[in-house]
Amino acid sequence: MKLRPAIIALTFAALLGAPLWRAHASDDFTAVVKAIEQFYHVKHQNLPLLARAGIKATRSAAKIRGGEARRLAEAGSARIAFFEDQEFDSRGRIASFKASIQSTLADGWSPLVQTLAPKEEEQTYIYIRDAGEKFHVLVITIERHEATVVQATVAPSVLAMLMKDPNEMGKVLTNDATSNDN
Amino acid sequence: MKTLFQTSLKLASIVALLLGGTAVTVKAQNAKLQLDQLDFLASKASETVDVKLDEHMMQTTAKFFSSSDPDDAEIKEMIKGVKGIYVKSFTFEKEGEYSQAEVESIMAQLHSSAWNRIIGVTSKKEGENVEVYLLTVGDQIGGLAVLSVEPKEFTVVNIVGPINLEKLSKLEGQFGVPFFNLPPAKPKGSK
Repeated sequence: MKLRPAIIALTFAALLGAPLWRAHASDDFTAVVKAIEQFYHVKHQNLPLLARAGIKATRSAAKIRGGEARRLAEAGSARIAFFEDQEFDSRGRIASFKASIQSTLADGWSPLVQTLAPKEEEQTYIYIRDAGEKFHVLVITIERHEATVVQATVAPSVLAMLMKDPNEMGKVLTNDATSNDN
Repeated sequence: MKTLFQTSLKLASIVALLLGGTAVTVKAQNAKLQLDQLDFLASKASETVDVKLDEHMMQTTAKFFSSSDPDDAEIKEMIKGVKGIYVKSFTFEKEGEYSQAEVESIMAQLHSSAWNRIIGVTSKKEGENVEVYLLTVGDQIGGLAVLSVEPKEFTVVNIVGPINLEKLSKLEGQFGVPFFNLPPAKPKGSK
């Protein structure tokens, strides 16, 4: 009898997570996650976290401009991959990693902001791609012991607001997608 | 014969117009500096910031700044016609980690006849040198470039499109443009 809740929970997790992952197999988000895994020999957190993040993302909101609470990413559009408690050591080859990300996102994506601090192993990459009337934003944040890849769809009005401070854009979008303090 | 002459004249006029148009386009394109030549500095720098806001991004988002909001309306006016904002900044741990020769590729572009240096601020104490260059196409401003050269930092900002010092100062702190603390722009008509 005790198995029943566990089976329900597993089925729920599979329904939430598996289609999300399979539907986007071999896309740019996945390719970026794989590029990070291959370069740094790390592994992103798998289905349970991904499913949780998916739920969080739909609820996420951010306080922007004058305390007005407003969702940045379009509901349900955020895709997140976490790398926690792992070693991100480029061994002085941060430029090679940058090149691999550039070639992975060569098709349709425009680099908007890139910040590098090689000694601290800190990197941020923000790429933008047209998505009809909206935009896809891909944010890659790497620190010495953790990394996050976030892809979200944003309305042009949100992008316009974020562009006022492009250096903070990655942080704001990542916080928006990974917090559920709404 | 007359017809042939008239046709040739018309053709010549069209060719001249096309060439003229191409020349203006080429000049406008020149307002965008080739900044990627600096990328090798990233391997030596302790921190690198690279911001690229191209024409498509600028124009697509510009229309979403609300005209009813005073702040947004000001931004909208500022970036009207701006075809791109490009920023590269390199911070080094120690002095002397980059040389004048290494940033010569940018200087060479700015020393071409199309660009005019309009401001040069040197601080001997800090070793800081900020220069502002304007590119004019006829009586129109085609672009602006700001170079900030410090012992441990090198920053270049390139704004493509009609931009003046007043607009530049308003853009500081926004769209990735850092603060340069430039002297205030003289009002139009003052000597």
